[in-house]
Amino acid sequence: MSALLDPAVGIVACPLVACLVTLTTGRWLPLRGAIPGLVATAGSLGLAVWVALRLALGTAPTHETVYTFVGGVDGQGVVFSFGLLVDPLSALMLVVVSLIAVLVHLFSVGYMNEEGESDLDRYYAGLGLFTFSMLAFVVADNLLMAFVFFELLGLCSYLLVGFWFRDPGPPSAAKKAFLVTRLGDYFLLVGVVAVFATFGSGAFAGPDSFVTAAEGVVDSDTGYTFLDLSGQQVVDGIGLLVLGGAIGKSAQFPLHTWLPDAMEGPTPVSALVHAATMVAAGVYLLARMYGFYALSPTVLAVIALVGGFTALFAATRALVEQELKQVLAYSTISQYGYVMLALGGGGYVAAVFHLTTHAVFKSLLFLGAGAVIVATRHEEDMWEMGGLRERLPVTYYGFLAGSLALAGVFPFAGFWSKDELLFETLDHAAGGVSVLWVAYAMGLLAVAVTVLYTVRMLLLTFHGDPRTDRAADPDSVGWTMQAPMVVLGVLAAVAGVLNLGTLRGVLGEETLLLAEFLSGETLEGFGGLTTENGGFALSAGQYAETLHDAAGYEAAGLSPVLSGMVALALAFAGVAGAVLLYRGDDPDTHVARLGRLGSVLANNDHQDEFQVWLASSVARRAALAANRFDRGIVDGVVNGLGAVALSLGGRFRRIQTGLVSNYTAMLVLGLTLLLLVFGLTEGWWV
Amino acid sequence: MFVEGLLAVTLASAVVVAVAPDRYAAKLATGLSLLPLGGVALMWTRFDASGNALTGGDIAFETRETWFQLGQYSVDWHVGLDGVSFPLLGLTVVLVTAALVSAWTPITERESEFYTLVLLLETALIGVFTALDLVLWFVFWEFVLVPMYVLIAGWGGPRRNYAAVKFLVYTNLGSLLLFTGLFALVLGLGDSLSALSMPDIAQTLRADGQLDGLDVDVVGQSITVGPDGLRLGAFLLLFFGFAVKVPVVPLHTWLPDAHVEAPTPVSVILAGVLLKMGTYALLRFNFTMLPGVARDLAVPLVSLGVVSVVYGATLALAQQDLKRIVAYSSISSMGYVVVGLVAFTPHGMGGATLQMISHGLISGLLFMAVGVIYNTTHTRMLGDMSGLADRMPWTAWILVAGAFGYMGLPLMSGFAAELLVFVGAFDAAAIPAAPLVTAVAMFGIVVVAGYLLWGVQRSLFGPYRLDTDHDIGRAPAHDIAPMLVLLGLVVALGVNPDLVYDVVQEAVSPLVDGGATVWPTDITDHVQGGRR
Repeated sequence: MSALLDPAVGIVACPLVACLVTLTTGRWLPLRGAIPGLVATAGSLGLAVWVALRLALGTAPTHETVYTFVGGVDGQGVVFSFGLLVDPLSALMLVVVSLIAVLVHLFSVGYMNEEGESDLDRYYAGLGLFTFSMLAFVVADNLLMAFVFFELLGLCSYLLVGFWFRDPGPPSAAKKAFLVTRLGDYFLLVGVVAVFATFGSGAFAGPDSFVTAAEGVVDSDTGYTFLDLSGQQVVDGIGLLVLGGAIGKSAQFPLHTWLPDAMEGPTPVSALVHAATMVAAGVYLLARMYGFYALSPTVLAVIALVGGFTALFAATRALVEQELKQVLAYSTISQYGYVMLALGGGGYVAAVFHLTTHAVFKSLLFLGAGAVIVATRHEEDMWEMGGLRERLPVTYYGFLAGSLALAGVFPFAGFWSKDELLFETLDHAAGGVSVLWVAYAMGLLAVAVTVLYTVRMLLLTFHGDPRTDRAADPDSVGWTMQAPMVVLGVLAAVAGVLNLGTLRGVLGEETLLLAEFLSGETLEGFGGLTTENGGFALSAGQYAETLHDAAGYEAAGLSPVLSGMVALALAFAGVAGAVLLYRGDDPDTHVARLGRLGSVLANNDHQDEFQVWLASSVARRAALAANRFDRGIVDGVVNGLGAVALSLGGRFRRIQTGLVSNYTAMLVLGLTLLLLVFGLTEGWWV
Repeated sequence: MFVEGLLAVTLASAVVVAVAPDRYAAKLATGLSLLPLGGVALMWTRFDASGNALTGGDIAFETRETWFQLGQYSVDWHVGLDGVSFPLLGLTVVLVTAALVSAWTPITERESEFYTLVLLLETALIGVFTALDLVLWFVFWEFVLVPMYVLIAGWGGPRRNYAAVKFLVYTNLGSLLLFTGLFALVLGLGDSLSALSMPDIAQTLRADGQLDGLDVDVVGQSITVGPDGLRLGAFLLLFFGFAVKVPVVPLHTWLPDAHVEAPTPVSVILAGVLLKMGTYALLRFNFTMLPGVARDLAVPLVSLGVVSVVYGATLALAQQDLKRIVAYSSISSMGYVVVGLVAFTPHGMGGATLQMISHGLISGLLFMAVGVIYNTTHTRMLGDMSGLADRMPWTAWILVAGAFGYMGLPLMSGFAAELLVFVGAFDAAAIPAAPLVTAVAMFGIVVVAGYLLWGVQRSLFGPYRLDTDHDIGRAPAHDIAPMLVLLGLVVALGVNPDLVYDVVQEAVSPLVDGGATVWPTDITDHVQGGRR
């Protein structure tokens, strides 16, 4: 047994225990369950940090099956099991998830308990179940287990978004969130089934993994008998199916429509579930099986295009939203678009890096928004705020740090990660993967738009004069809400040191701590997860090699500084635009300043209407038509036959006495007669 | 003698309850139903079957005594259990006890009569799943209809007579078909058969060349049917006979009517156990005795399964009555069983059997939850209510949990069963274009989420409102308890499907020999471990 197995089990188990404790005894506990949640997530965080440090100091990664889900009879059918895969990627994600979970639990004490919400044991139990599912998803060692917890994340999101179920809005948003992601999960499930049926294994790593099997299939020219698919086509198809699940969960176009609605949930939930963790699950899954995607240039191109388009499109939408949380929701969609862009562009490390920094600064922004909402007594419209800077200094500086990170301003965390991923995409585009030029261009343009909406959000909320009484006289924000913002604010400012990629030419490759960690260079053993030539199978270096060999991704060797300068120039253009549009004590509404462009942007997203129309109009009408057909034709034939028989048998009506005992007698008699008739005609009784 | 003991105890319980006064009947019947429940639990610890009972495996708790001679055939008292029938027997005794408890609140008149009939029904159901002799099995099969008919007609809703007669006539016509099919086979086997025992028939039919043709006398004209024609004809007769019970579209229209009119406990048994008689018989007769025909007819059969899944779900989407929603979704769920059976793969057939158990538990749970809502609100129409979770939180959250179970939420039993069916069907050699067919069937998981979440949202969430004259109160503990028990079983089976799936696999694996070719062959060469 590996040294990391027990702590990993502990990390996952802690929040589950907290959930069960809260569920059973929460209503009698002080703070209604916040304390078990805090203790458990803090325990998870401590263990996660320990695991990550151990990996950084050389301990070999762990890959062990802990539970057989369906064993069946030996040698017949596929075996399904649950296991833990603790490697640099999952360890990093464990730290991120448990860190945000702790802070959100603490923040909730201020946001929920002190605001006098009821049913808080249900709230904390939901948070615990969510954290458990997310952590278990992160350490899953195979596709089935990942799917299991992927779905449980959906359930938790449903329960938490719909927490205020007595209002009409939240239950509807919860349902929509579940249904839209369910559509993505449908494709994912087909993909999972296809993986198990095709390769006989869903393991992410190791010699028996489907990734290894896929490598063999792609190299050979064999494939399905079904439709004469070649091995490459099978891998492409499965990759696209799994991608469907990621698009749903990570709210990418066209399945992004649920995320803005999901803002109906409590704001701490938005910070944890809909910014930092669950929404990350989709892209995390892609990163987890990146060795598989690296085999398939077609799917990588789709990922890059979906990501680039989503990044740009959602950013333009964020530009015209009125409510603070809506801006942040579209911003989240846009930022996960960047992560997708990085994955499609061949920048594995950059994707993981941006996933990490985004988790920090976006949860910070949501917590900041939550603090503002509490302070202004549940005002969410930015036009009803203004001038909060002096009255809420801690919140302001926290929000400022998050905004600068989001905008990608040097030296905040987002600057480094966004530059890195744009650079990687550009480098591969210049290296000959021409489709990446399109994706890169969209991503680059989105930089300017991101800055624009970020500065707009900041100016409207915190600067200028208060536009309402509530903004002029906000409530104070308690320490339980301030402390998490301070922690995240510091991280948003300094997390870039993990990977100072833009300056790699100046500082040297050895400063790329994250790249080193993800490449397995810190490891002293690989726990059996080796490639044929003895390297670490789950390393960034290995993925780069596969990308090069199988997908033809070449690096052009451009200078990262140059790419960084381009992005920075666009960012300054964005700042200038935003200040021009929204500075001053009493800015005009956006429509006035943006003119026609504003209304175009505000109305550019008809996906939502389209999907609502599909669900409420097309599906419903089809169902009603089917129902009429069923009642009229299918059942009509049955009733018609019955009526004919009844009229023919009218003379037998006399024996329909309505007495139960008579019917019973008739039935038994009839059966006996039937047997007798058969017996006599066939001459059985000799 | 365990099986005889179960039958005798249950029948005796029915007699005792019949003579007991009304006011004790409910508690007495429930208490007595714990006897077969405990008996089955005891049997579980001693269950030692291996293989399939019909294809020569070791049968657990087997008794075989010659009963009487029917012409050249001996009719035996032949009972016993294997990995397919035992889980269904367990499902029966669990659901009947749960249903009895759920009857305490809604059943207020002629109670001892009601509980007697339920226990008689249980006796017959135990008989159906344990009988291994054709005549014995058929007698139990038919006898199930009697108490069920009376229960719907006697304690049902306003249109109970229509629903009960429809149920009776429809299923009896089905019985006529299957009876004809069965005896055509028996007669076709001629001298190679000396007893009407199901294992004997199955093994003789599965052996090549045992089936002769049959001369059929139709209105004075003698038509000779060859062995292949006889197999095909018998298969079709049996299939349609059982398809009524399952029900397979388009033979399903009795089901919503029967469910809507039946009182809650009867619906629980009807959806939970009676539908499984159909799929159990399909597995036992069509897919065990005539596997060749089943493979030949794979395209139409799997099409019926997929149509049932999608069409049933679409119909559920159109319903306004909570109970109708649950009723239609049964059609959809049972469609997966048909798809899994047609696959002839270990996980396909095993998953189909697991789905029978899982659907029994979950649909029972949902019918109970809807029943509790009806008991307190006196309506089931979605438009009449909103925000019930505020007033009856336990029932509401149990209903939500059941709905998620129905949608196939992982770690609940429905997910395990459906996943196995999908994996089993996806690479089934028996189904042409299997990946595509499976993917279409799988779309049911999206639609089911649609109508259940929509129904749940409208009835349970939002501001509290109730458009009836009744005052709403919390449901009594004895309404909640059986639902919690079923929910516990659903979760237990979802977390550890092998509780049941182990024995199921044991029993279905002899049936899939030669059925599952490794497909696609070439890809398998690249997989180093784990596969078949």
